[in-house]
Amino acid sequence: MADKKSQDIDLHTTETGFRYHRGSALSIFKSDRYEDFIALACALLIALGVFLLLR
Amino acid sequence: MVYTRKHPALFIIGLLLLVHGALIAGGYMGGVQKYLNIARAAGEMTNFSYIFGAVAVVVGLWHWFGSHREGNLDYYSSSIAGGIFILFVAMIVKWYLDPWVGALSRGVGPVIPGGRFIHDVFGLNYVVLGIVAGMVIVNVFSIPDWAQNGVRLSRLGLKSGVILLGTLYSLAELANLGRLSVVMIGIFVLGSVGLVLVIGVQRKISNSMGGVLSAGVGVCGVSAAVAAAPVVRARSEEIAYTIGTILVFGVICMFIFPVIGHMLNMGYIQFGAWAGTGILNSAQVAGAALAFQPAGIETLKVAEIFNITRVLFLPIIVLWLAVWYVRRETAAGEVGVQQVDTTRVIFEKFPVFVLGFILMFALSSTGIFAPAQHYQGRYFDNTRVAAARMLNDNEVATLRTESSKLQREDQKGALNRLIENKKLMSIDDDDVLRGVVNSGALSRDANAALRKAHNAVYHTAPMIAAFRDWITWLFAFGLTGLGMQITMAAMRQAGGEPLVIGSTVGVVKAVLSLIVVLLFVRETI
Repeated sequence: MADKKSQDIDLHTTETGFRYHRGSALSIFKSDRYEDFIALACALLIALGVFLLLR
Repeated sequence: MVYTRKHPALFIIGLLLLVHGALIAGGYMGGVQKYLNIARAAGEMTNFSYIFGAVAVVVGLWHWFGSHREGNLDYYSSSIAGGIFILFVAMIVKWYLDPWVGALSRGVGPVIPGGRFIHDVFGLNYVVLGIVAGMVIVNVFSIPDWAQNGVRLSRLGLKSGVILLGTLYSLAELANLGRLSVVMIGIFVLGSVGLVLVIGVQRKISNSMGGVLSAGVGVCGVSAAVAAAPVVRARSEEIAYTIGTILVFGVICMFIFPVIGHMLNMGYIQFGAWAGTGILNSAQVAGAALAFQPAGIETLKVAEIFNITRVLFLPIIVLWLAVWYVRRETAAGEVGVQQVDTTRVIFEKFPVFVLGFILMFALSSTGIFAPAQHYQGRYFDNTRVAAARMLNDNEVATLRTESSKLQREDQKGALNRLIENKKLMSIDDDDVLRGVVNSGALSRDANAALRKAHNAVYHTAPMIAAFRDWITWLFAFGLTGLGMQITMAAMRQAGGEPLVIGSTVGVVKAVLSLIVVLLFVRETI
């Protein structure tokens, strides 16, 4: 098994044949870690908005 | 590659939403709203339609007539079309399809004793219908080209929803549920990972296949499989096989678990504990919990505690798999097996959104969103009980008549204080009397009076209510988008050994965890 292939965990091509050159078939972001940080930023923004509007 | 498509679809969706908002605001949909019993959602329907309709019109015009060049702006802004597409489908399902199915089901009448309708029994609510709608779209019509990029935003919605769930937990609740979940999850995660590895060796699948499948089946589904892949040097097709297995098993569980839960008359905590332990993938845990209790999120909260506890086991499993894989390959005489830097892998793969959940929980525990002692988003305050919500003379008389049925001194004392003051005087009294209700010792009228007294002293903070709405919509968005990623080709990929092994271990885990939950998990915590 080629080492390079074994580490190729980004599934760029969907089942329908559409191929992404960025992100993966499951996410537009370059990595899970990056997506986690974006989700954290979104959640904090929502929490801040709720807090400021309803306090 | 330019991702933005010059297409009028997003602009048209925007116009439809604006017209929809205007029709609701103008009262032209009154008949439909009355038939579907959705009048309470009119404000939400109007606001959402106007806000996202305006966004879709503006961005849609830009996509349609603007000039686009390859780059970050093109890449990220093109995803808005897919995001609005998912949201549009989720809106149709949540506002119209779900109430319509409910109305049809109620028209048929109860199908099982206890007054449960078809849609209750099969969990046909906006969550399940959203996933099914997504699956129908991708498999029958296929995702339109202009929406392809944005459909990949669904997991972001799910992760944001999980982080926000942290706002709903109190320290006491988490501590109680945490102990239970660590014990249960510890046993079942480690047990199922070990079982997959043992069966995998017996069935002679590759070590990398067994390793990645065990992480997927044992921990938290797709993300665990992806996280464990580099440790066991799994190939892309092995990851795809694992994901297919998890999705097939998870989808089946998502539909079956709520049905079994209702048949066994399980409580919210029992079902949440079972779903959080027995279902393989995080998204389907949320789907099953919301399918079981669509009108509230108590079950979802419990299930997510278990799910997050399971995710927290990921570093341990990654470490275990790394050691196991290296030993297996070395024992098999593989030449050139490289040592994997497990510390680095764990650091790189630890899911940050779990830390976000803990951060939100910490913020919530300070009392910034609601009184710090809030329980399931509600808090005790008997100084704010309106006169109409206090017990009336008939209810007091009923409780006084039945007080002789109670034997325990703490129960007698709590009931006497309630009768004397016509409202609950402490959280401890409430806990004791909730136990009385659960025991069924008193009559239906007396239990109704106790429930009224309980509801009168518990209040929901406006911020918590707002967070609940956000969480509901983020999950509706994420799960509808998830449905759009479940293709028949992925389902077929689950065929063969991974499906046999994964399903065997999954069924064993589901059955054993159900037995444990029914034996040891009580509805009060």
